[in-house]
Amino acid sequence: MADEPKPRAIAAYRAPESRPENLAEYSYVPEALRGLAVSTGHFLRNLLFSRDPSPDVIHRRGPNQVTTVQYPEEIAPYPPGYRSMHRLVPRPDGKPRCVACYLCATICPAQCIYIEAGEYEGDPIEKYPKRFEIDELRCIVCGFCVEACPKDAIRMDTGTHTKPTYDRPAIIYGIDRLLKGPAVSHQTDVWFKRETSAPPEEAHAHPIPRSPGDEPPG
Amino acid sequence: MGRFVRMSLLGVLIAAGLCLWAWLGYVAIDWAGSATFELGWGATLGQAAAAIVFLQLLFVMILATLLMVAERKWSAAIQDRIGPNRARLPGLSRFSLGGIPHVLADALKMISKEDFVPAKANRLLFQLAPVANLLPILCLFAIVPMGPPVPVRHAFGVLFASLQIANPDAGLLYLFAIASLAVYGVALAGWASGNKLALLGGVRAASQMVAYEVALGLGLVGMMMTTGTLRLDAMIQSQSAGLFGTSWFPAWGLFVQPVGFLLFFAAAFAETKRTPFDLPEGESEIIGYFLEYSGMKFGMFMMAEFVEIITLSGVVTAVFLGGWHLSPVLDDALASAAASLVAWRFAGPPDPGAAALTLAVFQAALFAVKVIVLCWLQLAIRWTFPRFRYDQVQALGWRFLLPLGLVNVFATGLCLLLDSSLGLLGALGLAEIALVVGATLWSSSRPAALPVAAAGGH
Amino acid sequence: MPDPSSPKPPEKAPSPAPPALVNLVIDGRPVQAKPGTNLIEAANQVGIDIPFFCYHRRLSIAANCRMCLVEVSNAPKLVPACQTLVSEGLKVTTGSPRVLESHRSVEQMLLYNHPVDCAICDQAGECKLQDYYMEFDHRPYQPAQPRVLRQKRKPIGPFVMLDQERCVLCTRCVRFMREIAQQPQLGVFARGNHEYIDTFPGQPLDSKYAGNTIDLCPVGALLSRDFRFRARAFFLSTTPSICAGCARGCNTFVDHYDGVAYRYRPRENDAVNQAWMCDDGRLTRRRLVEDRLTRPLVGRAGSRVQGRSLAEALSAAAARLKPLSGQAGLAALVSPQLSVEDLLAVCLLAREGLGLSALYEGGLADGDEDALLIRADKNPNRLGLRWVARGFGLALRPFESLLGDVSAGRVTALYAAGVEVPKEPQVVAAALGPIGLLVIQAVRHGPLADAADISLPAAPHSEYDGTFVNFEGRPQRFQRAYPEWDEARPHWRLAEALLRELGFAWRWPSARELFAELSPRVPELASFDWNDLGPGGRREPGVAARPAAADARPPGYRERAVAQPGQGKQAGGSRG
Repeated sequence: MADEPKPRAIAAYRAPESRPENLAEYSYVPEALRGLAVSTGHFLRNLLFSRDPSPDVIHRRGPNQVTTVQYPEEIAPYPPGYRSMHRLVPRPDGKPRCVACYLCATICPAQCIYIEAGEYEGDPIEKYPKRFEIDELRCIVCGFCVEACPKDAIRMDTGTHTKPTYDRPAIIYGIDRLLKGPAVSHQTDVWFKRETSAPPEEAHAHPIPRSPGDEPPG
Repeated sequence: MGRFVRMSLLGVLIAAGLCLWAWLGYVAIDWAGSATFELGWGATLGQAAAAIVFLQLLFVMILATLLMVAERKWSAAIQDRIGPNRARLPGLSRFSLGGIPHVLADALKMISKEDFVPAKANRLLFQLAPVANLLPILCLFAIVPMGPPVPVRHAFGVLFASLQIANPDAGLLYLFAIASLAVYGVALAGWASGNKLALLGGVRAASQMVAYEVALGLGLVGMMMTTGTLRLDAMIQSQSAGLFGTSWFPAWGLFVQPVGFLLFFAAAFAETKRTPFDLPEGESEIIGYFLEYSGMKFGMFMMAEFVEIITLSGVVTAVFLGGWHLSPVLDDALASAAASLVAWRFAGPPDPGAAALTLAVFQAALFAVKVIVLCWLQLAIRWTFPRFRYDQVQALGWRFLLPLGLVNVFATGLCLLLDSSLGLLGALGLAEIALVVGATLWSSSRPAALPVAAAGGH
Repeated sequence: MPDPSSPKPPEKAPSPAPPALVNLVIDGRPVQAKPGTNLIEAANQVGIDIPFFCYHRRLSIAANCRMCLVEVSNAPKLVPACQTLVSEGLKVTTGSPRVLESHRSVEQMLLYNHPVDCAICDQAGECKLQDYYMEFDHRPYQPAQPRVLRQKRKPIGPFVMLDQERCVLCTRCVRFMREIAQQPQLGVFARGNHEYIDTFPGQPLDSKYAGNTIDLCPVGALLSRDFRFRARAFFLSTTPSICAGCARGCNTFVDHYDGVAYRYRPRENDAVNQAWMCDDGRLTRRRLVEDRLTRPLVGRAGSRVQGRSLAEALSAAAARLKPLSGQAGLAALVSPQLSVEDLLAVCLLAREGLGLSALYEGGLADGDEDALLIRADKNPNRLGLRWVARGFGLALRPFESLLGDVSAGRVTALYAAGVEVPKEPQVVAAALGPIGLLVIQAVRHGPLADAADISLPAAPHSEYDGTFVNFEGRPQRFQRAYPEWDEARPHWRLAEALLRELGFAWRWPSARELFAELSPRVPELASFDWNDLGPGGRREPGVAARPAAADARPPGYRERAVAQPGQGKQAGGSRG
């Protein structure tokens, strides 16, 4: 073509050209009827046939095409890898795997984890969380805490989410509510290497003086 | 398939209910008419009063209320959703009842909401506008004949009972006159709200009304010429004949005046101010003329919209869909069925009065079914098409519908001049319908030109 | 600034003849160094960091960690940079692949027996083993055979916890105890792979300077029992401060998080404390967090009026002091724990507001003393108190005379700025019982606060800017680390408010203006530059004083922690 396309005014958005292709389309009526046919098809299918109540919407079958999930009567299954509510993973002896290293509290972008460390007597792992609280209202479910945890002590595999509540303090979850689920153990866990971290008796042959006001932490 | 059976049963139940309603209506109208006649006040008074009760209150208002829920449920079905089903009746908390309890919930909500009047509004006009909107639209339905006149023999003579409130000779002219009044309510609401956006909505409504009033009239002129009358019952009567001399092909207005039907339907749709003509409302841009309304006053606007749908359906049924007629042969079959039903039910000598009443009941129910189907069609259109741009609305009215209407009037006149038996007109109409259907099928068979046009399924 | 006899640091001893400088090249950069400088210090002059574990500027050279091996032009093998002195024309390469491989090998060898329990190690975040692993090694840890297990969690002294598994055997602690503290209580035992650090049998690490081994330890082998598991090092912010434990005035850093001081660390000042401080001084950080008085107490213990704000308490105190102003029965007790700025304002109040001509001198009783750092006078600012009192023409009377005057009825009303007294506080409180009016400003709860008619909450020195004058007459600045707790305010701010309530117009926006206005009355302070923060005492923008962003964390964590009932700042010392 000899004539170049005319330069257009530069705009942030320009609607795509959708000129009618032929007279039938230009007259609007056939296209309108086609659209009506589509609507009517959906209407009749959904009106006359039963809805497959499978909560897995993607795998619903049948002529009825309704995709609604009637929560809470029907609950759609969460996809694998879904970041659900936290749990503190227990050790085989029921104590939390957590060693209160604060890495989750450090990485947490929502500042929703509060930890207070305590000390076990005579346990191969010296440190444990006296308090481990997650403000589930503040949590943004990013999963960084799970990524950051060096001890596989916090997971988001419960498959549930935080229960709604009218009570703000009730949604701050402590160890009592977070510590649940199957226990987990790894080959590298310290308790496979040693029974206790307490020094042998002979190391205490001399009395260790207490420092002034030296109470256990907390 | 349980749902299929349930829906079929529901359809039968609705038909039976309509029959019951029609029978009660006839009986009541006749009783009231004879009562006032005997009191010396004339039969029309009683008949009209009973008809108002049975048509306006028991049919139009109930249907409009149900349409409010139906709009939500049907749009849900069109959009692959379920729709409202959470409101339950006490004691029936396990059954959603198709969302019907939402009618009660909505009504309760609207009644209990604050009746708010903006500080800068014109209080009188602001309060008046919803009434001024709803009242003319209710009046419109007065001329719609929902059932044939039935002669009932009384001691003082024969009274014709008819499911029609009024039957003025002016007929359709009354329709035009009253329909134009409805715009006052809208324009008043927009102006009296003291809100720029509401005013914009009112102005849009007024100019849209002016643009489509002409097409509305021109669409009906063809049928007036064809039937030679303005009265709706006479129009229905003239559509009971067969076309081309056959007894099976009905001479409905739809077939002899397809262009008129299109014109009238589009124009009347624009008058209802619903999508794709909902510019006065335009909830995504200006919210519209009822922007400042709340509670039951807003409910009246909404009610007016649905009453207008029903009225439009009634007029279209009467003028273009043969009213209570199917086709001559089917009409005869219906009449004989009614007669044999009467004969079977009242085992005795044939009673022409009872047979005529039974037939009329069936026909009134048929009319109501046509009205309901047309209501559904309007809802489907509203949930299918996107809103026009405002310039497109005006261009469609002035530059497409108006010339088309004029051409249609002249073409109709020419055909009637050449062949007064409607044969030529019917042929032309069928040719037009065939053209549109053919174009539709043709364009359906072609691959979609644009991705956005590839509707259908998900 | 007067600078009389202070322990002379050996490095700064002036040489009779200035030595010629030695020229050498480190990583292509020409360096001029004094003869006798080792390569680590020489490289440091031009900003090149050579990694090391065992080297310390103030300790003898051990060269046993082998981390600082570098290439030099006059030796075929790698040489330890800490032990190699500069020589003329030497060419040093610190970043060659050979050197980096050496660093990596050392790191890997140290990690063979390391438990890698950084998750529970308080040193994590300030650990050299961690840092060098990230810098030089940074590869998966796959031991070929099981680690040698040693003793973890062994409390070897009142202040120190030992973890032999984490130890890299740099022997810094052993050398410190032998050379600086001169109490050789630590030693290296066994041989080869089984070597470990321990105390000698029957002899705990009970030196007063044992805490310095914690600072010296490059890894988490020696950790503070006071700081243990209370906070992670990477949460802490650091502010230069002065130890208030004795008249030495050791330069410190106060490490704090969320408005709570968690530990003191010594700050290098060759003129005062070199790089050390004593354990008693470290433990004075508890005075900043324990038993804090953060709201005013109005009324004595039996008849206390609840819920008075600071402003109301100040008004009440001024209303009761005002009629006594200039009367014979009124006296004032001033503690040498207060800063110079506090004392300036308090003396102004005593002189002009209360019309006094003498002060009673409070302060903690004398304690033990040694040759290295610890002074017998356990108050940081006794010299400052004497200077300021003299400058305001106020005589100082010993504390003992106060009790006598009270029992004799010569003192019927007492205003006390600071309640540190040389006797048992219960005894003093009982002795002060007959007094008609007792108004005190106190940092902490105690018998005196309970006995007082009005107790005003004062802030400790970590919460405001001020100056202490140590026993040598050396004014030293400390800085505000975090905001005052609740309604606690510096003593000078309370005195200023009392002055205003008494009808005076004194008003200072900050301690700087106060010092500028009042210090001319004290001739000894004339030569002191208030803005001189001392060695290492730089004000870091955004770290020290801003309430919310002090720890570069948004306010949320702070609010939540405070909102815990019973876990507020009162119990801050135990927050972990």
